[in-house]
Amino acid sequence: MHKLIPLDALAQGRAAKIGRLEGCPKQVKRLEEMGMRCGSSIEVVRCGRPCIIRVGCNRLCFRRHEMVNVWVRELDSRLELAPQP
Amino acid sequence: MTTHDRAGFTVAMLGNPNTGKSTLFNGLAGVHQRVGNYPGVTVEKRVGQARFGRHRLTLIDLPGTYSLAPQSPDEMVAVDVLLGRQSDVAIPDVILCIVDAGNLERNLYLVSQALELERPVVVALNMMDLANQRGVQVDVPQLADRLQVPVIPLQAHRKIGLEALKQALLEAVSGQTPKESTPFPEAFRDEVMRLHQWLQDRFGQRVPRYLVKRLLLDTDGYVSRTKQWRGDGDLRRYLREARERLAAAGVQVPAIETTRRYQWVDGILNGIVTRPVQVGSTVTDHIDRLLTNRIVGTVVFLALMALVFQAIFTWTTPVNELIQRAEAGLGDWVTATLSPGMLRSLLVNGVIAGVGAVLAFLPQIATLFFFIAVLEDCGYMSRAAYLMDGLMARVGLSGKSFIPLVSSFACAVPGIMAARVIEDRRDRLVTILVAPLMSCSARLPVYILLISAFIPHRPLLGRWLGLQSATIIVLYGLGILVAIVVASLLKRTLLKGETPPFIMELPDYRVPLPRVVLARVLEQCRTFVRNAGTLILAVTVLVWAAAYFPHPNGLETRMRAEFSTEAAALDSQIKALEMLDRTGGTQSASKSDASGSRRLLDDLKGQQATLESTISNRIAGAYMEQSFLGRLGKLIAPIVRPLGWDWRIGCAVIASFPAREVVIGAMGVIYNLGDGQDEHSVSLSEHLRRETWPGTNRPVFTVPVALSVMVFFALCAQCAATLIMIRRETGKWRWALFTFVYMTALAYLGALMTYQIGTRILG
Repeated sequence: MHKLIPLDALAQGRAAKIGRLEGCPKQVKRLEEMGMRCGSSIEVVRCGRPCIIRVGCNRLCFRRHEMVNVWVRELDSRLELAPQP
Repeated sequence: MTTHDRAGFTVAMLGNPNTGKSTLFNGLAGVHQRVGNYPGVTVEKRVGQARFGRHRLTLIDLPGTYSLAPQSPDEMVAVDVLLGRQSDVAIPDVILCIVDAGNLERNLYLVSQALELERPVVVALNMMDLANQRGVQVDVPQLADRLQVPVIPLQAHRKIGLEALKQALLEAVSGQTPKESTPFPEAFRDEVMRLHQWLQDRFGQRVPRYLVKRLLLDTDGYVSRTKQWRGDGDLRRYLREARERLAAAGVQVPAIETTRRYQWVDGILNGIVTRPVQVGSTVTDHIDRLLTNRIVGTVVFLALMALVFQAIFTWTTPVNELIQRAEAGLGDWVTATLSPGMLRSLLVNGVIAGVGAVLAFLPQIATLFFFIAVLEDCGYMSRAAYLMDGLMARVGLSGKSFIPLVSSFACAVPGIMAARVIEDRRDRLVTILVAPLMSCSARLPVYILLISAFIPHRPLLGRWLGLQSATIIVLYGLGILVAIVVASLLKRTLLKGETPPFIMELPDYRVPLPRVVLARVLEQCRTFVRNAGTLILAVTVLVWAAAYFPHPNGLETRMRAEFSTEAAALDSQIKALEMLDRTGGTQSASKSDASGSRRLLDDLKGQQATLESTISNRIAGAYMEQSFLGRLGKLIAPIVRPLGWDWRIGCAVIASFPAREVVIGAMGVIYNLGDGQDEHSVSLSEHLRRETWPGTNRPVFTVPVALSVMVFFALCAQCAATLIMIRRETGKWRWALFTFVYMTALAYLGALMTYQIGTRILG
């Protein structure tokens, strides 16, 4: 099991799962409503500021913000992303 | 109640953005739709009508949203409509939730909130075909069974499934109102019940249970800030204590909402949705590899912007010329038909000019919104916002502000209308407030006139850049620079507040639907004419009145008397020659004599025509001078004196309030040249150069004065249409007034500095 790393540290093209969302509860909730929640699969399609991420089956443009921190756990392969039958 | 009781019912349409909700709305309502605003907010109110058998459906299309947890007045509108608290629309008989079949997890989050509104719900499972293509399979009967509401598979863009949907809506209306279903634990439900009772005891009215939940769930949410409860200390205390009680029972607010709802969603979907094992690259991924690439993507974006800009700037010119010609033709016809007087002047210079001013905006609006609709409908717009976000973030805005601002270089009116795509209220407001600083196409004629008259045609950087072009570039740059400063200042002062993290969906690319694009263009044009048209017309008539009245009798006679000897001399000379021509010509004079006298006659007639036009121009100028506008110009003369302006420039600037380009025509009248002047007319620029301060031979227009006028126009808010649009899009006159004041102040300051520094450098 990999340890939690900030989303910024996730390399482009690498797959991960969201481990923890930290910060202002109101803003964390906004992200969750858009599908960024604990356990969601996440992949950095394009890194940078803003970055493009794929969360579940959504493609999102996201600008890192001082009020929320997204922590992710890297997966070994993309196969782990597949939903359990 | 049964369906036989009523022939019509109301359906509220709710769904995430990019679920094809607008397509479905257009498919159901067709041309039978009205678009307006909800009072006091900039939320589009779309109401459509559809028929099903003998039943009439009223459709309310709510703005796309991910959640019904309002944080702003704009987001509150959807909740109010759904709960029947919005007075200008009927309470919905049924809620239609449109969900993307390929993205059920997130879409059902909103459905779970809709199910708590205690209204009948129908779920439309849209984009089934696309989901199937991606390998997503949904067991629809099972889903309906678990949700306990009808689920209708749909392909809205092909109009497949619409009849079944209408049938389901009809049945839902006639069925029982469902019992509230809620994913929350018992401790929370108890707390809701208690607060519900407390509110009823305290305020004596029943509050919808959904709002009670929102009060508990949204820490600092908008519901607690509505007029009803704002500033109520007891309620605030109650909520704090209730949340403490909940925390003690293991219910963390606000995290409980997302946790429980997603748990509920997972439970619903468990085993009835199959997804592909490996997520492969889709067409969208391939396109995105190019279009979101920092270099290739930016080049493509800039090329697209150039196309849009070019289109608004030049493609609309023929149409605008047609409008101008029609306006002139109609004006001439009225002039020829009616006898001179107030009515004729009102019709020609007030009404026809005003209608022309309104119509002149339509080609720009139609062109810009054609592109915006195409780019939005095909999914590109969010990529553009992504690419420009880095740049705009430096000013404190997001990428979504870019298109409205760039469009404003052509015309601020459609630019301000385009700012609707910005969801964040503060960002939208800042964008709207700085948009008029972008140098629009109406400023160009002013620049061209003054630059061609006063800025020498001299190379600056070899043959690549002349001094004249450089001046134009500087003026455009000035607008941008000031906009950056003002935007940063506004974000730090007046419109300060926590910016939510910028997060935006990048939908799949698709071919835009012509009917969606067309509907959008027509709707924007209609909106503009209906909302801004009358006001622009009113302002034009008002300025006409100021320039016309008091219009004393006898002024014309007096002016004519001044020229009477000259006119009489010419007249008698012509008469004598004509007499000679008629009588003597046949008798004895030689051929050369005859042609010589005819030449003289033509010459004299030419002189007479020139004199006549000089007189009428002088009369027009004299009327202008003694009009209220002229007096106002003289009144503000001491104020504009430090800018190097005489009262006539001040007067022309005031006259240009309805629209900047009017300033040239106004200068023509004030400088006794008649009103048919445009930026290329040699006589006006010649005349401006010759104009002197009264009683001296010091020229009025020097290079610093010309620069000062141009800087003023680069920064001022002399455009009634823009201010009226700001009022409409912000919902408040206050912001229109604010824009006018800050821009005029900056323009004055800029012109003052330009003139004062200019005279010191150039002497």
